[in-house]
Amino acid sequence: MVDLTQLHDAILRGDAKKAVAVTREALAENASPTELVSKHMIPAMDEVGRRFECQEYFVPELLLSARAMKGALELIRPLLVEQGVASAGRVIIGTVKGDLHDIGKNLVASMLEGAGFEVIDLGTDVAPGKIVTEILERKPNIVALSALLTTTMPFMKSTIEELKKAGVREQVKVMVGGAPVTQQYAEQIGADGYSDNANGAVAIARKLVSG
Amino acid sequence: MQLKLISCEIFYRELCAAVSRSRNTVDIEFLPKGLHDIGCASMLARLQEVVDRVEEGKYEAVLLGYGLCNNGIVGLTARATPIVIPRAHDCITLFLGSRQRYFDYFNSHPGVFFKTTGWIERGDSRGELRQLSIQRRIGLDSSFEELVEKYGEDNARYLWDEMCDLGRNYRQLTFIEMGVEPDDRFERQTREEAASRGWDFERVKGDPSMIQRFVDGCWDEREFLIVRPGARVAPTYEDDIITLDQL
Repeated sequence: MVDLTQLHDAILRGDAKKAVAVTREALAENASPTELVSKHMIPAMDEVGRRFECQEYFVPELLLSARAMKGALELIRPLLVEQGVASAGRVIIGTVKGDLHDIGKNLVASMLEGAGFEVIDLGTDVAPGKIVTEILERKPNIVALSALLTTTMPFMKSTIEELKKAGVREQVKVMVGGAPVTQQYAEQIGADGYSDNANGAVAIARKLVSG
Repeated sequence: MQLKLISCEIFYRELCAAVSRSRNTVDIEFLPKGLHDIGCASMLARLQEVVDRVEEGKYEAVLLGYGLCNNGIVGLTARATPIVIPRAHDCITLFLGSRQRYFDYFNSHPGVFFKTTGWIERGDSRGELRQLSIQRRIGLDSSFEELVEKYGEDNARYLWDEMCDLGRNYRQLTFIEMGVEPDDRFERQTREEAASRGWDFERVKGDPSMIQRFVDGCWDEREFLIVRPGARVAPTYEDDIITLDQL
């Protein structure tokens, strides 16, 4: 039997090849997909997040761990779907209109996936209207918005306004983040959650789906 | 009026030109380009230190040659001399001449990196500020060789594409011509850089009139915030960008 702690370690060390190899072997031995995720992958990503908050890990380490996790998840996901396993929640994420920055958003998306969320990444320069369309089609629990510039932050407010106008504001929780964004701004525009880092975003997302 | 101008060196040529034409007597102190990258607490500390050194009673106002600049001016406090600050997210508003013009251009041209004389010739990319930048501290500002050494070649390639490829975020260089250029070297350099990156290039004519109003003391409330002694700067997150937070 393959030693599944190797999956945890491979993700922690950002070794994508190892993570995929161990996962493949484990699935061939009929390991439970949900256990792989809940007992090994999510704890690994939680530890990655903790190390990031403690400044032991930086953006490169996060990216490598996320890549390892995603490689493993790619093999597991079809089985989870087949078994009808529910995700921790469905999140739509994007960088707001006019803003093409995506590193932070990509990190949050990866951390959320690593935490068991289903993430629909709309990319960058996402117009408010597009968010509304996606809410109507995909019925997410959470909408996560990112902005890196004070010049594009106003589109966070206008996205929330657009959700209200379309009558879908109450259907989702909105969380915001990005370098210039603050707790004060999040409250001012009526967002439901804010975090100043990718790891914190996971905690917020978990809180928003449970409450 | 006797004024003290504390400004980012990004405006070097443009502000010197404006001051030379002004009826006011303006003492200028330029600060290094790139403070907006070292974190807002650090940038604020640097600005406050310079503001605090302004000789009391000598000037009618301090002119702050900064915009909101990544929230780096939030919390800046006026001591005995009022501070005049343009209502701007960043320097581009002053180069283009108005918030509205910047807003319109920005929204119709996502992914533009602006270039001016100061953006090209000012700042020391090898200096102290680079080491202090957030990009450096969180690992974004690495050379490919540094990444290979630390993470191995395969990982380095992945990281380079994910973190360091500017083309993900930008697709055009826009050169703002301010009329202070001695020749076409700045435009040419911008054009060449755009070509080498496979990006688009545009030259737009800047408008120095807001900069001139700034040094001339024409401080319309809609364009400039006056921070009276004892007050400090706060963001509004609205169109007027900054306001006063009374201490």
